[in-house]
Amino acid sequence: MGKEESYELGPRGPAPPKAPKGRGRRKKEQLEDMKKEMDVGLVGAVAAERLLRDGPNELRPPRGTPECVKFGRQLAGGLQCLMWVAAAICLIAYGVQEGQGDRGSADNLYLAIALIAVVVVTGCFGYYQEFKSTNIIASFKNLVPQQATVIREGDKLQINANELVVGDLVEIKGGDRVPADIRIISAQGCKVDNSSLTGESEPQTRSPECTHDSPLETRNIAFFSTMCLEGTATGLVINTGDRTIIGRIASLASGVENEKTPIAIEIEHFVDIIAGLAIFFGATFFVVAMVIGYPFLRAMVFFMAIVVAYVPEGLLATVTVCLSLTAKRLARKNCVVKNLEAVETLGSTSVICSDKTGTLTQNRMTVAHLWFDNQIHTADTTEDQSGQSFDQSSETWTLLSRVVTLCNRAQFKSGQENVPVAKREVIGDASETALLKFAEVTVGTVSEARGRFPKVAELPFNSTNKFQLSVHTAGDRQLLVLKGAPERVLERCSTVMIKGQELPLDAQWREAFEGAYADLGGRGERVLGFCARWLPAGTVAAGTDPEALPEVAVGLCFAGLVAMIDPPRATVPRAVLKCRTAGIRVIMVTGDHPITAKAIAAAVGIISEGSETPEDVAARLRVPLEQVDPRQARARVVTGAELAGMEPGVLEGILRAHPEMVFARTSPQQKLVIVESCQRLGAIVAVTGDGVNDSPALKRADIGVAMGIAGSDAAKNAADMILLDDNFASIVTGVEQGRLIFDNLKKSIAYTLTKNIPELTPYLIYITASVPLPLGCITILFIELCTDIFPSVSLAYERAESDIMHLKPRNPRRDRLVNEPLAAYSYFQIGAIQSFAGFTDYFVAMAQEGWWPLLCLGLRPRWEDTHEQELQDSYGQQWTFEQRRYQQYTCYTVFFISIEMCQIADVLIRKTRRLSLLQQGLFRNHILVIAIVFQVSIGCFLCYCPGMPNIFNFMPIRFQWWFVPMPFGLLILIYDEIRKLGVRRHPGSWWDRELYY
Amino acid sequence: ELLGRSHITNAFKILLFYVIFYGCLAGIFIGTIQVMLLTVSEFEPKYQDRVAPPGLTQVPQVQKTEISFTASDSKSYEPYVKNLEKFLKDYSADQQTENIVFQDCGEMPTDYKDRGPYSDAQGQKKVCKFKREWLENCSGIQDPTFGYKDGKPCILVKLNRIIGFKPKAPVNDSLPAEVMAKYSPYLIPVHCAAKREEDADKIGTVEYYGMGGYSGFALQYYPYYGKLLQPRYLQPLVAVQFTNLTYDVEVRVECRAYGQNIQYSDKDRFQGRFDIKFDIRSS
Repeated sequence: MGKEESYELGPRGPAPPKAPKGRGRRKKEQLEDMKKEMDVGLVGAVAAERLLRDGPNELRPPRGTPECVKFGRQLAGGLQCLMWVAAAICLIAYGVQEGQGDRGSADNLYLAIALIAVVVVTGCFGYYQEFKSTNIIASFKNLVPQQATVIREGDKLQINANELVVGDLVEIKGGDRVPADIRIISAQGCKVDNSSLTGESEPQTRSPECTHDSPLETRNIAFFSTMCLEGTATGLVINTGDRTIIGRIASLASGVENEKTPIAIEIEHFVDIIAGLAIFFGATFFVVAMVIGYPFLRAMVFFMAIVVAYVPEGLLATVTVCLSLTAKRLARKNCVVKNLEAVETLGSTSVICSDKTGTLTQNRMTVAHLWFDNQIHTADTTEDQSGQSFDQSSETWTLLSRVVTLCNRAQFKSGQENVPVAKREVIGDASETALLKFAEVTVGTVSEARGRFPKVAELPFNSTNKFQLSVHTAGDRQLLVLKGAPERVLERCSTVMIKGQELPLDAQWREAFEGAYADLGGRGERVLGFCARWLPAGTVAAGTDPEALPEVAVGLCFAGLVAMIDPPRATVPRAVLKCRTAGIRVIMVTGDHPITAKAIAAAVGIISEGSETPEDVAARLRVPLEQVDPRQARARVVTGAELAGMEPGVLEGILRAHPEMVFARTSPQQKLVIVESCQRLGAIVAVTGDGVNDSPALKRADIGVAMGIAGSDAAKNAADMILLDDNFASIVTGVEQGRLIFDNLKKSIAYTLTKNIPELTPYLIYITASVPLPLGCITILFIELCTDIFPSVSLAYERAESDIMHLKPRNPRRDRLVNEPLAAYSYFQIGAIQSFAGFTDYFVAMAQEGWWPLLCLGLRPRWEDTHEQELQDSYGQQWTFEQRRYQQYTCYTVFFISIEMCQIADVLIRKTRRLSLLQQGLFRNHILVIAIVFQVSIGCFLCYCPGMPNIFNFMPIRFQWWFVPMPFGLLILIYDEIRKLGVRRHPGSWWDRELYY
Repeated sequence: ELLGRSHITNAFKILLFYVIFYGCLAGIFIGTIQVMLLTVSEFEPKYQDRVAPPGLTQVPQVQKTEISFTASDSKSYEPYVKNLEKFLKDYSADQQTENIVFQDCGEMPTDYKDRGPYSDAQGQKKVCKFKREWLENCSGIQDPTFGYKDGKPCILVKLNRIIGFKPKAPVNDSLPAEVMAKYSPYLIPVHCAAKREEDADKIGTVEYYGMGGYSGFALQYYPYYGKLLQPRYLQPLVAVQFTNLTYDVEVRVECRAYGQNIQYSDKDRFQGRFDIKFDIRSS
């Protein structure tokens, strides 16, 4: 709570109207003086001066990242850096070769250009994605400027709220948004809704009295951006803009550093592996080249070429496209992702800290229970009124429903006849609205009933009486109806209605009432009592002073209790259960009361059935709370006050000890502390929330999920993901998709990495055995960036191998995206088979054209001599340089086709990591089948399109050369099936450890 | 220490695994290559689509296809002379004495000499003799400097060897007039001219020496049967002597062989033709 204590009034510097710093009673006199003085408000000139000094009264939007920085960030990820380095190396190599006058070194230049192009293009793509989702979010922003009623120089003016300054006298009334932090000077029945600040949806009274030292708790301060629900108030502006409470929370959020996403960490880990291997290979062959006797510079160029060849150019595009495909899929399910990488984060999430109001609950008071005829009845709380109703045949219900209908000042806004009752807009506070809607649904049209019983007089609710009553004409009699705090209501009753019978209210009934009241209250519900009395006609004349009414309201007949709650959303309990089966812990963090929080937590399954809090255990065992063994209590409710008194580290202990946690009455800062504690325990934390008070925690979380409809702008700004339908259940979809994409990315990466080896080995053999180059640089680029992109992306459409929602979240330290078995299996096994396939086809193509394998060894210097126009092949035929060059291109193409053929087998084996291909279904992923067809078509096009030889170094190759690599493809399929069989049959064995990735 | 040992065992297991794995792969690879080599004939390549049509090349083989020397400085043309001499060694009369290998194919161009199937069923194939004397001034017999000391350089022109390739004599009307002058239906004529129009007058007279005085390749030398069946095959040659080249100027000469199945390509400047630069310095 540190910062709240330091809440200052007014801006820095001299505060001209000595606004009362302490709201202490000792300054009361001064205050009274000031009030008089303040009746006329500020002078326009002073206001203008202060406006200039303090700036406009609006929240400075969190310093938006400049667009160029956003774009720059897209170019500076782990993989991107790898590619930049590679491009730089290429350029250096190109420079070195140019310096040596080596022609044909343009390859390195092309490679550098291609690398840069890939980074820039994928960067643009990622930027566009981000831009698009930011736009979706921006569209929610309310662009209508807010108006405020201000008194200046004694005149009442309507001005834009952003022109308010400290010291201004403002008026607010029901329906207004409070335009700044104001201290109430006078109020008439003013109630505000602080839910956006505290998460507590109960309306709070605002009056001039100072009731608490903490500005958040005291009654005489209304906060910027909260809603005034009813009544009117006049107040003095004490803070504007960013210095308001809400401004401070918003800036707290912007001060929180954004964590790296788990997928970014994974990619960095993976880049480390790649870079390590690349340098290892490069260095090895540098030494080899030096030993063979190449000149230093040449060996250096070889080194660079090998390092660059290790860079999987296509991977960046694959990862970006896979992530954005999932982002798109999520968007269709109403989850908008602001940052592509956040797509996966939900999949790794192990703890969800959820706000209660508006996330788990519907954020509207609803009648949940009724007590009449000495029985608790359950009302239908579903959003669409699809639930069961209760028995309405009793006459007591007739009376109760009449009281509920009549003793209610709320009314529907006009013109909503066709709107479902639950969605209609209502003028009135939350409880009255709930009762109005309840009456409308269960009894029928309320306005009609009110018309039949015209109101004669009424006394509105106030905090001293704690009840509200009205008198209605009912034929030749009058009906007095009263509702209010149950104990106050009961005081005024002398009878109770049971099954239509008016019985005297004796001790037995009082006990029954107490029991029901306690029961309902214990469920976290707000309970109201209802009673009525028939009066003879003319008992109350129209225009009677309302203050005189309580005198009439005695000896009433108690009709029943109505309990209201902000009910959980229908989809939430199932979603919470799904999260639990998926090994995700759901923690409730709310600003609301502990009892309500616990009740909702129990209702949605955050506290599961049979779980007890230490308090419950203490009550059950009848021992003091201190003696309860924490291990006996699965659940625990911790309030903000307890949290504030905790030593550092205690919270972690509590989090570890109790699997089911509810935090109530927490401040924004405490939410942040809770999230950080979870993270310290090694969890990947998702935070859901909608209010400004959630925004720091949303920002701090590994993934912040904000509500799209109810969410405040601050929350949406801080979040990484937005649920457009405010439905907690969408998170489950997010988790599922996140886990799926993690698995599928693994497959895509494995697929993409594999071909690195058959792309690299030709060069290694070229250096060491001096054969004519089997595979050219442009051809490699075509494999990486053209043909193989489609299959690798299509793996993103692969369905899960097992029920991923029944597994525990991955352990971020153990279950890596790319692990050693994956790299080893892809590189040294499948990649090796592919290399052999390529070389087989290469030697076949060479031999059939006249160059036998043994002749090829050591042939390179003469083969590449541009002046050698009569090089003899194995038959004594003489080849010109150009003829040899086209033969070399033929080899490129043949090698290319070999890799393609093997990659078809590779993409098929990558469909599963554990299951047999036949179990997964060979053709069930249609996109993958299409991708393979497409890949082959591009291969054919590249080979046989006229003009290709001179543009991209592809030659039309003989038909049978397509078949040479096929046995190797088959070998890959069979070998991988054997591997999977071993992995399935012998879990935990050496085979499993080394070959399961 | 226990951990260390288990690590070593594991590393050993992995090593063993890869040894077996790569052993199998290498086995498959070598097996496949062997099988493939069985299907490839020893005497005749399976495909020749990359090597045909043949290239036209010259002797001396020079870097950057430039012949540059000073007539008075024997050092400056020594490499060319040596190269020519080395090349012509196989064409000397004393190298063509074994009658079991060489066959006298006459003094005048005649038709192709088919020598049966491309196999060693009948042993090695005979080879037509090519007399060095036919090259006259460029034979190096009378003038061991091949005319270089007089500033009248010789070059030898030859068609690249391609197994089974039978060049077809050109159709009459497609030839330059100079070539038509000495026409034979059994001849692939060779003609050298200035590469650029403006060099035409700098070339001077060009003398051609070849079989029977024809400037071209006689058809009886074709087809070629490969280095196993005709290890001592002699390509027919045409010697070209530039007797009146302009000195101190770069002169670009293009030589072409003419035949119905000899094509030229923009990409491959040595296919059916080549060009060579002369730069003879007067001092």
